[in-house]
Amino acid sequence: MATTITKPETLVGKRIRRREDPRLITGTATYVDDIKMPGMHYATIVRSPHAAARIRSINTKKAAAHKGVIAVFTGKDTQKVGPVPCGASLPGLRVPHHHILAMDRVYFAGHPVAVVVATDRYVAADAADLIEVDWDVLPAVADPEKALAKGAPAVHPEWPDNVAFNYHQEGGNVEKAFSEADVVVKQRITSQRLIPTAMETRGVVADWRPADRQLNLYSSTQIPHLMRTLVAQMLGLEENRLRVVAPEVGGGFGSKLNVYAEEALMGFVAMKIQQPVKWIESRRENFLCTIHGRGHVDHYEVAAKRDGTILGIKLHIIQDLGAYHQLLTPAIPTLSVLMMPGLYKTQNVRADIVGVFTNCVPTDAYRGAGRPEATHGIERMVDVLAAELKMDPAEIRLKNFVTKEQFPFPTATGLTYDSGDYAAPLKKALDIVDYQNLRNEQAQARKQGKLMGIGMSTYGEICAFGPSPATPAGGWESATVKIDPTGKVTVMTGASPHGQGEETTFAQIAADELGVNIDDILVLHGDTAVVQYGIGTFGSRSTAVGGTAVYFALQDLKAKIKKFGAMLLGSDDVSFSGGQVICNKTGKSKSIQEIAAASYRAMKLPPNTEPGLISTHFWEPPNFTFPFGAHIVVTDVDRDTGAVAVRRYVAVDDCGNILNPLIVDGQIHGGVAQGLGQALWEQAVYDDNGQLVTGELMDYAVPKAHMMPRIESDHTTTPTSVNPLGVKGVGEAGTIGCSPAVVNSVVDALAPLGVKHLDMPMTPETIWKLIARSKS
Amino acid sequence: MKIAGSYTVPFPPERAYEMMQDPDVLARSIPGCESLEKIGENEYRMKMKMVLASLSGAFEGKVRLADQKPPSSFRMVVEGSGKIGFVKGDGLLTLTPKDGGTEVAYDGDAQVGGTMAAVGQRLIDATAKMMIKRFFENLRSVEVSSR
Amino acid sequence: MIPQAFDYTAPKSLDEALGLLAKGAKPLAGGMSLIPMMKLRLAAPDHLVDLRRLKDLNYIREQGAAVHIGATATHYDVENSAVVRGKCPLLAETAAHIGDVQVRNMGTIGGSIAHNDPSADYPAALQALEAKVVLKGAKSERTVSVADFFVDTFTTALEPGEIIREVIVPVEDSGTGTSYQKVAQPASGFAIVGIAVRVRKSGGKIGMARIGVTGLANRSYRAAAAEKALEGKAGSATEIQNAASLVAERVDVNSDLHASADYRRHLAVVYAARALMAALARSA
Ligand SMILES: Cc1cc2nc3c(=O)[nH]c(=O)nc-3n(C[C@H](O)[C@H](O)[C@H](O)COP(=O)(O)OP(=O)(O)OC[C@H]3O[C@@H](n4cnc5c(N)ncnc54)[C@H](O)[C@@H]3O)c2cc1C
Repeated sequence: MATTITKPETLVGKRIRRREDPRLITGTATYVDDIKMPGMHYATIVRSPHAAARIRSINTKKAAAHKGVIAVFTGKDTQKVGPVPCGASLPGLRVPHHHILAMDRVYFAGHPVAVVVATDRYVAADAADLIEVDWDVLPAVADPEKALAKGAPAVHPEWPDNVAFNYHQEGGNVEKAFSEADVVVKQRITSQRLIPTAMETRGVVADWRPADRQLNLYSSTQIPHLMRTLVAQMLGLEENRLRVVAPEVGGGFGSKLNVYAEEALMGFVAMKIQQPVKWIESRRENFLCTIHGRGHVDHYEVAAKRDGTILGIKLHIIQDLGAYHQLLTPAIPTLSVLMMPGLYKTQNVRADIVGVFTNCVPTDAYRGAGRPEATHGIERMVDVLAAELKMDPAEIRLKNFVTKEQFPFPTATGLTYDSGDYAAPLKKALDIVDYQNLRNEQAQARKQGKLMGIGMSTYGEICAFGPSPATPAGGWESATVKIDPTGKVTVMTGASPHGQGEETTFAQIAADELGVNIDDILVLHGDTAVVQYGIGTFGSRSTAVGGTAVYFALQDLKAKIKKFGAMLLGSDDVSFSGGQVICNKTGKSKSIQEIAAASYRAMKLPPNTEPGLISTHFWEPPNFTFPFGAHIVVTDVDRDTGAVAVRRYVAVDDCGNILNPLIVDGQIHGGVAQGLGQALWEQAVYDDNGQLVTGELMDYAVPKAHMMPRIESDHTTTPTSVNPLGVKGVGEAGTIGCSPAVVNSVVDALAPLGVKHLDMPMTPETIWKLIARSKS
Repeated sequence: MKIAGSYTVPFPPERAYEMMQDPDVLARSIPGCESLEKIGENEYRMKMKMVLASLSGAFEGKVRLADQKPPSSFRMVVEGSGKIGFVKGDGLLTLTPKDGGTEVAYDGDAQVGGTMAAVGQRLIDATAKMMIKRFFENLRSVEVSSR
Repeated sequence: MIPQAFDYTAPKSLDEALGLLAKGAKPLAGGMSLIPMMKLRLAAPDHLVDLRRLKDLNYIREQGAAVHIGATATHYDVENSAVVRGKCPLLAETAAHIGDVQVRNMGTIGGSIAHNDPSADYPAALQALEAKVVLKGAKSERTVSVADFFVDTFTTALEPGEIIREVIVPVEDSGTGTSYQKVAQPASGFAIVGIAVRVRKSGGKIGMARIGVTGLANRSYRAAAAEKALEGKAGSATEIQNAASLVAERVDVNSDLHASADYRRHLAVVYAARALMAALARSA
């Protein structure tokens, strides 16, 4: 007779505290700067104070003679090192040769020109001050629109028009759509340059073992494996002689989804001096030299029928690329194009991108990477259209949404939206804010001359990057699951979490699948010597792609466990549950521990079965996933000062199945903070000469805890069919949904004054000027 | 960054103009100027040390006078660079008689770069104004002491 | 972000400290302004003398009709001192607006006013309070009014070798209403505009009004014209508005990335009115 086994509690879906947090909150985690090695040397990088200049000469004599300095290198020394790689390819893309140290010219303020290596970091910093560079300062251009103007200084003399690429994409019949329209609305919409500002700046330790021909590189990165492949090529080193470790990484937000000059440079230095070397980026360097995000000037046109039906969208993007292409620089705005229809049915779109060089640090992926721009654009335009047609912004959205029955839905930009019920989160959010009453309250407030705004955004995003043919470096992810002879479980993932909590969520998946205690599971990542290979953590992909790889590796392993269990139980009629293989006839069982021991001891093996319990799976996703949601923001604008106060922030997100609500909430909160930052405070400002004037946290305003509203977070759940976990990804959703909702809310507040649009950040002064203008 | 303003000195335009063309007077009036050495017609090499609260930095640069229209206007270009960054000021000074003295109006552009530009944003305007004020105060006391 | 090498002394007595300062050493208090400048190499003092360990400088006490605050009293001390809260609440309210908790735990009143950042908070309150500053050198000691102490951007009446020993603030009359209203710059927290107000009424009329302003100009100041406009008035909304509109009269207003001169001037007027309203509401 079959015995009933009580199914142990499942962990997936539970609010489990993050297993990585104890080491983080007790200050015992190991970041790059915590790495200490005998014989460690320290590097300081000398950088250009000018945005554009020729280097007449560099005098390194005094620095080299400084006590404690063991080496100084300039561009001449490093010119054989391969260029900083650009992983994006677009037809006709102009790619400047990006030396790791400047040769005879610098292209942005902060451009590295020399590196000083010394026995301690103080000596290195002192000696760096002794390097004399004779500059021939050249005119610079820091604004993409100015860079396109006739007669603008050429960032790269070989391309005097400053155009790096033109990109065109269209779907459907845009001209027809526009000719049939009752109304066409147009708006210029910008998405300003932002500084990612990870809590931990970048840092690299390089350790060369000459006898082994082995270079160990520790870097604060989101992509250890890709870095290994690329840095090995830059250094001309065999890839298997390079080990890259991403130790604890204190945030990245895309800024560490890159291969920078400093990684190859430290490798070069370590190989030259045959001693370990450390470089830690200062906050000032982080602002000047680590990629920035956004940098869009968009021109939108939307054609519609009088009833609000959107017929077509035209978009022209001017993308500020900066002086070089970092890993994905030119690819980022193409993501904006892919997502330009948002959640709406329209099948007629046309987009053009002009990628523009400027004398600024390159732009690249920053939380959302291309999708916040797209969402901001379409969600602003829908409001502009609603205002034009005097329609309610909720109504016009509901009218144009792709409907539940239309999935999988092919978009005009060539994507297939996996699953969705776009009206559901909007309706839920409207209920939470009690929309009708809120509008009544607003009408009352307006009568009293108060500026109260209600704004919404209904976003869709593309994540879980992604099918390999559609990604620059392969879009699969890998997992190895190994059960030790004593039954303990180790998961090795190719994802490289740095704050997202996969040490917890992946352990939840494994615990449920194997029916073991979560404390018996260890999740390892971020070391190329430990993990098979991997793509990394970015684009809200780790759980949907990396988690799925873990899931499939577990299925293989479970099959093997069952085989061993069947052999040990002497029966083919077995099932696996609760960490036991159970004979369905006798009810006898073997635990995972017993099975693991037997599999390694290998006294006897099931037919065609190898000893040991280990399984590796590389999972190639058949599609992206498309999370969505609705954010509603209520604001009050101070008529006297223009200051914006966020009264309510409601976020209803649908990221498919939720593995751990606590972690999902954390991602939403952090994402919204960065969205609010863009909407209200943050902007990287270069002056006309290419000086970054928001060069420190004293002038660059990231949101602080006391500036955050309470976030009322809720969810709808529409699983994806793309992966068996039904998860979509949530790392960027908060940011993507946020900024248009906030701007729509403030524009709504100012609507009685005739305001139709505001660019970000919506500073009190800008708003005050609009209020003042409406009075006169 | 645009810089404009005016300052009144208690002596006539001819005197004010003449003084501001005199390298010795400039050396004593430019705040922090340690030396001014002629390198060409109306062009001088300058060493200066800027001290402002805790901030201190040595600069090397140039002062150049141009477009001279005595006694009513001239252009002054000041450039300096040092470890903490670089500054460049280019301004037109216009002298008009006022109550027995001279109103010197200045209108120009200032560029600041390097560390100073990045960290001193909220202070550059106030600091530039103070430096200009000090310049005219110094000019005034040089004049008084030369009487 | 690595400073140049420097010597460091934590002297045992005030005299020892003054001796070192006379030789050109630089005082270090909370380090909240000085250390960042050193890390950026904008400042490179050869020798730092740490004042924070000197008991003689760390006190808050009531003495006669005044509260004496030692130079190394932290912003946190001032914010939370029962004496300050009870006897000159304006100063405690102002201290609470400075920076964030970490900065308030480290930064000192002496350091803040010696630094004399044109956007610092304390100067507005100290102007309104007509406070005095006691300056001590190796040989002498003198007392100056804050009006004379704050000279210009980052410039004070401190002579080389002198330190701030204490700040003296008169005990507030019980009927006085006070308020500090600030627009904080979103990145640094410093004041774009900060207005400190004290008002006292007698027989339904404003008998005394003091308005200290920071953030607006090259240095903090008292808005004398606005003060005058209030005296003898009942404090109606229009009267307040009229007075407030005078706070930036004849002032050369700063402008920067975060606020143009026009906007600052406007904010000063709005916040002066708000501070006056709040102070009047609190006055007996
Ligand atoms: C993130 C941040 C935010 C801030 N926000 C604000 C804000 O909102 N409002 C505000 O007002 N301030 C703000 N500050 C500045 C802060 O209040 C500082 O504490 C203060 O300006 C300096 O005080 P300190 O004790 O740290 O002085 P230190 O940095 O140690 O010294 C500053 C200067 O004063 C000199 N000095 C120190 N003590 C004496 C003395 N007794 N006699 C003579 N000279 C002395 C030093 O030599 C140095 O030149 C902020 C600072 C930071 C880092």
